[in-house]
Amino acid sequence: MAIRNDKCYSLLRNTDKIRNICIMAHIDHGKTTLADYLIASNGLISSRLAGKLRYMDSRKDEQERGITMKSSSISLYHKKDDDEYVINLIDSPGHIDFSLEVSTATRLCDGALILIDVIEGICPQTTVALRHAWVEKIKPVLVLNKLDRMILETKMTPLDAYIRLSQILEQVNSIMGDLFRSAVLEKTENLQKEDEENIFSNWSSGLDEADDSNLYFLPEQGNVIFASAFHGWGFTIDNFTEIFSKKLGFSKNVLRKTLWGNYYISMKTKRVMKGAQENIKKPLFVQLILENIWLMYDTVIVKQDKEKTTQIIKSLNVEVNPQLLLFKDAFSTLRGIFGSWLNLSECILNIICDQLPSPNHLSDEKIENLIGSSTKYSTVSDETLALKPWFRRCSSENEAPIIIFISKMFPFEKKYLPENKVKPLTIEEIKARRERVRQKQLLKEQQQETINTTKFENTEEIQSNVVENVDEVLVAFARIYSGCIRVGAEIYVLGPKHDPKIAIEKVKSGYEIDPSVTLKDLKSDEHITKVRIKRLYLLMGRELEPTNEVPAGNVFGIGGLEEHVLKSATLSTEIACPAFSALHVVATPILQVAVEPENPSDLGRLVRGLRLLDHADPSVRVCIEERGEYILATTGEVHLQRCIEDLRERYAKVPIIMSEPIVPFRETIVHPPKVDMVNEEIKQVVKINDDESTVTVYTTNNSCFIKIKAVPLPTKTIQLLQENVDLIKFLTTSAFTDVNNDNLAASVKACHTFRFRHLQPDIIQTVLNFKTKLNESLKSSSTQITLQAETVWNFGPKSCGPNILFNEIEKNECKMSFWNRLNVENIYTKYESNFLNGFQLATLAGPLCNEPMMGVGFVVTDWNIITEELQNYSTASTYGPFSGQLIYSVKEACHRAFQMQPQRLMTAMYSCDIVVNTEALGRMYAVLNKRHGRIVHGDLSSCSEATFKIIAFLPVGESFLFASEVRKQTSGLANPQLVFSHWEVIDMDPFWKPNTEEEYLLYGEKADSENYARAYMNAVRKRKGLLTDEKVVECAEKQRTLSKNK
Amino acid sequence: MAKIFTPTNQIRLTNVAVVKLKKCGFRFEIACYKNKVVSWRNKLEKDIDEVLQTHTVFTNVSKGQVAKKEDVLKIFGTDDNTEVCLKILEKGELQISDKERTAQLQTLLKEIATIIADKCVNPENNRPYPTSIIMKAMKDIHFSPNSNKSAKQSALEIIPKLKDSIPIERAQMRIKTSITGKETYKFREKIIKLVKKLEYENCDACGITFIFLIDPGCYRQIEEICNAFTECSIELLNLKETAQEKEFLNI
Repeated sequence: MAIRNDKCYSLLRNTDKIRNICIMAHIDHGKTTLADYLIASNGLISSRLAGKLRYMDSRKDEQERGITMKSSSISLYHKKDDDEYVINLIDSPGHIDFSLEVSTATRLCDGALILIDVIEGICPQTTVALRHAWVEKIKPVLVLNKLDRMILETKMTPLDAYIRLSQILEQVNSIMGDLFRSAVLEKTENLQKEDEENIFSNWSSGLDEADDSNLYFLPEQGNVIFASAFHGWGFTIDNFTEIFSKKLGFSKNVLRKTLWGNYYISMKTKRVMKGAQENIKKPLFVQLILENIWLMYDTVIVKQDKEKTTQIIKSLNVEVNPQLLLFKDAFSTLRGIFGSWLNLSECILNIICDQLPSPNHLSDEKIENLIGSSTKYSTVSDETLALKPWFRRCSSENEAPIIIFISKMFPFEKKYLPENKVKPLTIEEIKARRERVRQKQLLKEQQQETINTTKFENTEEIQSNVVENVDEVLVAFARIYSGCIRVGAEIYVLGPKHDPKIAIEKVKSGYEIDPSVTLKDLKSDEHITKVRIKRLYLLMGRELEPTNEVPAGNVFGIGGLEEHVLKSATLSTEIACPAFSALHVVATPILQVAVEPENPSDLGRLVRGLRLLDHADPSVRVCIEERGEYILATTGEVHLQRCIEDLRERYAKVPIIMSEPIVPFRETIVHPPKVDMVNEEIKQVVKINDDESTVTVYTTNNSCFIKIKAVPLPTKTIQLLQENVDLIKFLTTSAFTDVNNDNLAASVKACHTFRFRHLQPDIIQTVLNFKTKLNESLKSSSTQITLQAETVWNFGPKSCGPNILFNEIEKNECKMSFWNRLNVENIYTKYESNFLNGFQLATLAGPLCNEPMMGVGFVVTDWNIITEELQNYSTASTYGPFSGQLIYSVKEACHRAFQMQPQRLMTAMYSCDIVVNTEALGRMYAVLNKRHGRIVHGDLSSCSEATFKIIAFLPVGESFLFASEVRKQTSGLANPQLVFSHWEVIDMDPFWKPNTEEEYLLYGEKADSENYARAYMNAVRKRKGLLTDEKVVECAEKQRTLSKNK
Repeated sequence: MAKIFTPTNQIRLTNVAVVKLKKCGFRFEIACYKNKVVSWRNKLEKDIDEVLQTHTVFTNVSKGQVAKKEDVLKIFGTDDNTEVCLKILEKGELQISDKERTAQLQTLLKEIATIIADKCVNPENNRPYPTSIIMKAMKDIHFSPNSNKSAKQSALEIIPKLKDSIPIERAQMRIKTSITGKETYKFREKIIKLVKKLEYENCDACGITFIFLIDPGCYRQIEEICNAFTECSIELLNLKETAQEKEFLNI
């Protein structure tokens, strides 16, 4: 601790000596263990506990499950030769569900350690990690980890181990080559697109010119580390060149080049020769390095030969605490020896300092990548371009503009914040306290009353200490690219959608940013707030270290930004600073569950908790469904469990139940099908003539009857209606606000008035356009009945839905329509609104399972009110008011007309984008098929050869846990993403029963297994408490027999 | 003559649901399987052998007394046992079995919850509650459904009681009325007492138009007031006002 506090501040200013790196790998390849060793080198934890403690896993569930779930940072100090370095190390999770956390980590880094378990080899997440590093343009160093498993578990010979290592290296390099190639191809493709008019476009792929010399991992270049994080050792080729050049008398350069690869020592000539494999000789790497390590394991662990161990130690010329040999546990001895021979942290930290760039060496490519992806870099305004050199210089001078990027907000328990912690008292303070106590005692002796007052003061003090009873604060995880941020500095917070061009113009035109404005006051087109920095922290893993200033190039934390930053943001003193490009996302939140509190009165707390969670976790999405359900979308099952845990324990603190979200359906009718279920033509066509399909319904008092028939609407019409929902909604409301018509009506001779004539002319024009379009789309209907837009009476449900009521009554008294009103008042105009409400109710809840209708047209052919009878009944209210009866009868009539036609359910469909590896293609198809998915498009992706891009449609009802099943089945090689696409008719009659002989043959008598439309319908009916055709008990004989004692 | 009556030759009908019919002073019974009679009456079960234990007509099932042929013939006009059984099944009184009862209550409870969820909103955000929360709230206030009341009736009754458990309000109705003539002021006085929120009021030469929200329970009162005034029209604009769009939680 001591080293850090004194030196860190001066070191932090020295940008050359800062390294921002992260550790990435597949799950369980040893990231956190490695981080432990690096932390131990700073004395923060005991080196004996390193690898077991998992210091970076501060959450309880992380420790319990043994996986990392968040990225967290720690600042480490390292002394190499005479230079002192600060290393900001970010540990990242390996599980696919938390891939966004990896993105947030890589964004802030300049370099990365990529770990590979040598036994497991390259895993899906390894590839993802490599791609992450590539996309973010950060320099990777490869760590081949768990070499100890080769020795102890699989008992490989050194030669086998060497072959295995070189294979892994080849695979990794081929992935890198692939990434490189696709990037180059993409670039040239874009270039070619740009100068398409240019006749002299060259046809070379651009691959030949591109430089890939720094791309690959080569041990001789020092960017490959061989390690066993668990046993605490690691080395590079360089470690051994030193030793062996002295021993064997070869030059260092020669050894560095030959120590890895197909080289061997010829004993005769005392020279290093090429072609070890051809001559059946051991390669240098095996002979000089691996065999020695194998020997060490053999003596210390397997044979436990203490004498020989001391011999080896002597020959290695390393200092080892003699007590080490006395340990009973051989592994501790081994660790001790390796700790001084091939120290892991030493080796890795050296490599980090040597190989990875410092923050002031940002490449142009990376800078462009950071700021340029949303707006093309070349088209950015001058003010923004002026910032570019500052990025490169990364200076902490006062005149440098401050540029900070916040990649995520992470929660931190308030009581652990440094400012709320109990600080050790200085001697003066202790003295002062003693004095106070003494005085108090004196006072106490003197007077009783005074004590009471002091007590009173004390309690007041305590009360002022209790600030708010929120125990979580959000700290921003940030990196400063330029300038020096100090506590108290005023700075702009630029939201992710901030566009410097627009903002600059706004400011020029006199727009000022109010410092009191917070995020929730912002309008949709404003993305800037102003904030005074209150607290800055250095991130120390589980702890935060308060600091007053942070110079350029560092990774740090900012407190008190909850009101200004939602998930990520850019902070700058310049408005011209562009918002940083969006994070590279692998997994999107697609696992949706409905959450609700166990106790309904806790709903308010749950909502607050959900808000906090949404704020703190970048890969969570929360929304309220139309039905009032709270939907929590997460990236996967593990992530979901973490979120629920967080809600229960930290954010909401109430018991929570989660369930499958309710799946919405729609009800519709179709034209009678021409083929049956086994694709045979239906021979005896039952001709339904119009009279039969028209339904006549009387009101209960028999004074009124309605004739309605239902027709399916053409798909074009449905589409048109859905596109124009807002227009229809607007028209319905405006039609009712048109009031001053009555006096006008008298003067106009025509019997109709246009309902929307009070609106502005351009709106009227759009209305008329909409009407003609509607008319055209209706004509495409294939029924004999011709529908016309002129006769449209209303839209439903909710007055704007995709169902239409047509008015084709021949009577003159009821010639009203959606467009025109009648100028005469009669009994029909009086009850018009009730009639329409009946239609609205009918379309809101259809007869199949009370779900809204879609694409149904109801044609009213007759409506007759017998006025005399109505007057007779109006006084006697046995059946209730007539208006109510009318609503009910219209609803009833609509439902019955609907039931006369072939009914179908409609389901919402997700469009499902899957990027999948060729190997997993078949298994992924199997999952899709099982869930009634339909593949629309599948093709090799353009840039890489090994991946397919597939677009499929999947019913929403089948999508629960779809993502995790796909991942499981394809062992993580396929990543689906789901977006709502459209509504689709399930082409199956929910009431279907086998009729023809062929159908009996194929489906049997009951045919309930095949009909999933019926299964959907029954599930909804059951949920809503409607009658289903399920029997209480299926087989009478199979009930439990209750014997009576007789 | 002593009859040999040993347990071995006694055929016991276990798990019996008895359906009884009294006709012309005679009592007839049939033995049915439990949990099956209601399904039969709802026309869900079509196989008679799944319902009847035996096609025999009894006078007392538990004692095993079979009805006399001549009695059956006299009263039902036929001696075809199956036909008589069907008649008794159709018209006789039965005791609803345990599973049937629970199924019935469950459906009723769900139906009530669906109706409440449909009619009510959370006043904090003007959105409906999911049915599952309504169910829990109903449990909270110890509500048990009464099979003699219709689902809608019970729903309307317990909505006020639910307020103890969760904040809940009826979704409001939007109504437009317009009145011409001299009594406009008086009309306004009467209406305004029932109105929750007056959204629009326009007064011109020919009268006043109001658009307002009311509790759906007041609709009938409003209508009666309107009918009492001549020259008054009433129009129902929206049955329930709720927030409709899907919304993302932000700050």
